[in-house]
Amino acid sequence: MSDHGIHAVGAYAPRLRVAAEEFAEAWGSFEASGIEEKAVPEADEDALTMGWEAARRALAAGDADAADVDWLGFATTNPPMAEEDPTVRLGSFLGVADDITRQSFTGSTRAGTRALFAALDADTEGLALVVAADCPRSEPSDAHEHAAGAGAAAMLVGADAPAPITDRAEHAEPYPGTRFRRAGSEEVEGIDVTSYDREAFRETLAGAVDAVDAPEDPDAAAVQAPDGGLPYRAAGAMGLDNGTVHTCATVQDLGDTAAASVPLSLATALADGHESVLGAGYGSGGGADAFVVEAKEAVPADLAIDGGTDLTYAEYLRRRGDVTSGEPNGGAAYVSVPTWKRSIPQRHRLVAGRCPNCGSLAFPPEGACPDCRSLVEFEPVELPDTGDVEAVTAVSRGGEPPEFAVQQQKSGEYGVAIAAFEADGESVSMPLQVVGAETSPDVGDAVATVIRRIYKQEGVIRYGRKARVDDE
Amino acid sequence: MRDAYLIGAGQSDYGSFPGESYRSLFRTAFENARDSVPDGIESEAVDEAVVGTLGVGGRQLGLPGPAVTEHVGLHGIPVTRVENACAASGYSVRQGVQAIRSGMADVVLASGVEIMTDVSGDAVRYWLGVSGETEWERLSGTTFAGVYAQMASRHMQEYGTTREQLSHVAVKNHENGAKNPHAQLGFECSLEDAMDAPTVADPLNLYHCCPTTDGAACVLLASEDVVENYTDDPIRVAGVGAGSDRVGLFQRDTYTAVPASQYAADRAYEMAGYGPDDLDFAEVHDCFAIAELMAYSDLGLCEPEEAGEFVASGKTGRDGEMPVNTSGGLKSKGHPIGATGAGQVVEVFKQLSGEAGERQLDDPQIGLTHNVGGSGGAAVVHVFEKGGAPSAPGSASGRSPRDTGGDAA
Repeated sequence: MSDHGIHAVGAYAPRLRVAAEEFAEAWGSFEASGIEEKAVPEADEDALTMGWEAARRALAAGDADAADVDWLGFATTNPPMAEEDPTVRLGSFLGVADDITRQSFTGSTRAGTRALFAALDADTEGLALVVAADCPRSEPSDAHEHAAGAGAAAMLVGADAPAPITDRAEHAEPYPGTRFRRAGSEEVEGIDVTSYDREAFRETLAGAVDAVDAPEDPDAAAVQAPDGGLPYRAAGAMGLDNGTVHTCATVQDLGDTAAASVPLSLATALADGHESVLGAGYGSGGGADAFVVEAKEAVPADLAIDGGTDLTYAEYLRRRGDVTSGEPNGGAAYVSVPTWKRSIPQRHRLVAGRCPNCGSLAFPPEGACPDCRSLVEFEPVELPDTGDVEAVTAVSRGGEPPEFAVQQQKSGEYGVAIAAFEADGESVSMPLQVVGAETSPDVGDAVATVIRRIYKQEGVIRYGRKARVDDE
Repeated sequence: MRDAYLIGAGQSDYGSFPGESYRSLFRTAFENARDSVPDGIESEAVDEAVVGTLGVGGRQLGLPGPAVTEHVGLHGIPVTRVENACAASGYSVRQGVQAIRSGMADVVLASGVEIMTDVSGDAVRYWLGVSGETEWERLSGTTFAGVYAQMASRHMQEYGTTREQLSHVAVKNHENGAKNPHAQLGFECSLEDAMDAPTVADPLNLYHCCPTTDGAACVLLASEDVVENYTDDPIRVAGVGAGSDRVGLFQRDTYTAVPASQYAADRAYEMAGYGPDDLDFAEVHDCFAIAELMAYSDLGLCEPEEAGEFVASGKTGRDGEMPVNTSGGLKSKGHPIGATGAGQVVEVFKQLSGEAGERQLDDPQIGLTHNVGGSGGAAVVHVFEKGGAPSAPGSASGRSPRDTGGDAA
């Protein structure tokens, strides 16, 4: 498998950040050492939407498209639904073929490295797409919550790669209680016995690293980072110095990214042009993966992990939903799930329709042609990612439909634009919520579309496109 | 084809009435309409009824028509419920005119009723969205305020319309509503009040949005064969026009006009043989301030780029050249969805009958109503003409030979 490895990498982290000082001010101290600030998902972001952001960047960097993918793996400790295969929706967001192999990985912070190993084992003819995305959370006072960050990384894996993975190994030893989440809970816990936690981390990682044929002095080491302290405490046991770990560390800026931690550091190392990289992922409960990357040439990369907007601690609590109420009661206007399902190509990929009679575009592509009024069967046309704002409003608190009440509580005012998209000289318009730092674009501004949560009803999360100002 | 005449009209107070039901409000409106008929009318004379309502807010959804007509003693007659969102009872008036013109009825009760304020704030927002395009528009996060705000954003960008001009709509309509004893928000507001209100959906603030309202309105229509039994001062339904369009704003060809209103107005003017210059006043659908500005141009009262200045200059005030919404409009009088269109006809009846009290115009002859459903999925326009003997058409072009210059109140 010497020629199997990484063809391209993509990464994403939410633009929202909260600084350690905000926690220190609120709590009197900050419990996650080595973290300066961390990424916070927006109210409409989750592991799947972040995973899509990273995946599309890996595809773009690798000059590949969804049709080239014949294996899709998704790794997270926080799937948006406890039961429901996330790769089905992720695949639809991306537009991969419906007959490719899909696998999801969860239940441990080494789910990301497990997915990478599975992609290598899959030995695909085309490309395997490995997506790791995570956004752990815990109780507000818990050190795990102080550390909890967010981010995603994706790797295109296959034969004849510029960055082959030359060796890999795993090591497992039971250390119950070091990091776990109870069935039905959203909150990570630990029994908080410091020496025991450190031993579990150190011994399992060292066990895995010992088993690989590692370079004497790698350029960078992508080490699991539950906080900004533990990876350095375990560095010596893995034969690494702190600088090698720090070279591609992201924890100090993004926080604990759980299953995405090692993939994010690996993506950072490869994007920075490092050639020999040691990967070391630790899994909840005692287990570790180690692997060696020996890049022969530069790996195409597209990383979007910089922060943009700083939150106060109160704004952070709103985003987490810790101080907001639930969905409002009662209701008549309602889009059934089967109705929604019929529109999924439009929601996920902006598939418009071209009138075979007159060539005009329709969105959604149903009913009579908006131009020639004929009742036709539209030909599907995927719209470009960017469009122009034709009309816009900013919806203030209380002006939102109840489906968006919880989002309003968490994120405040949002924009809604009507944007026009062009394909082959024809234009078609659609309404889109506007996300990002600038939610009130002007008429005429360019916007790009992104996948976000639209709303949740009857327990079912509805995903679709929103817009953000193009230069963000 | 025989003509239809407006012989009476009345409404309940508009407002929030925890002590009233949709039946009791309807009864008040019915009694006021019945009592407004100059020579009186017995309930037995009503051949048919049409009831406009959205029928929501926890009320029964089926058969609201008979529920209200049986309540007021109109037993056994054909009753049809009409639903075209906020244009429901504008369309019920149109249905009444059709019944009379077809010869199937001589006297029709055209009406509307809505109870909107006795449900929680959460619930009211759920069903306010049902008249929009629910799959895409609503799920982009807009209610009607947001959709009309998008129109306003475009109007401002294309025509230089300003927030101050939008605020003048509120100032004018509140000034009128303060003189209407039935108005829900019957108080005056200053331009500063209207400029400084909290934002609902930028650029629209609270004073650019109408309230939610309980209320009912009833209109009595009679055929030319029987009109003289009820009045010596007939008001002819000179023109009726209606039109429809795509329900979602994003699906339309323009964001700065309501094409359904234009279709409706063109048809009503054509049938009436009158044009916008012939009107003495108009009741237009000002659910949001921008809606009134678009109505001006959709109805041909001015060009789109002139709409902001049209209101700011006072031309649509009671002593202006084209008084608009002397009742206070939806903004001040209130907007009980299903009752709004019939309620506009109540104002026309009062103005043309000289019964509009403090807000009475100086002997108006021709008035128009303009009622829009949703953000423009449906619209209906009526032109009413005072007098108008059974054989009195105007000409399709030019002004009718009468003085319309002196409408000062």
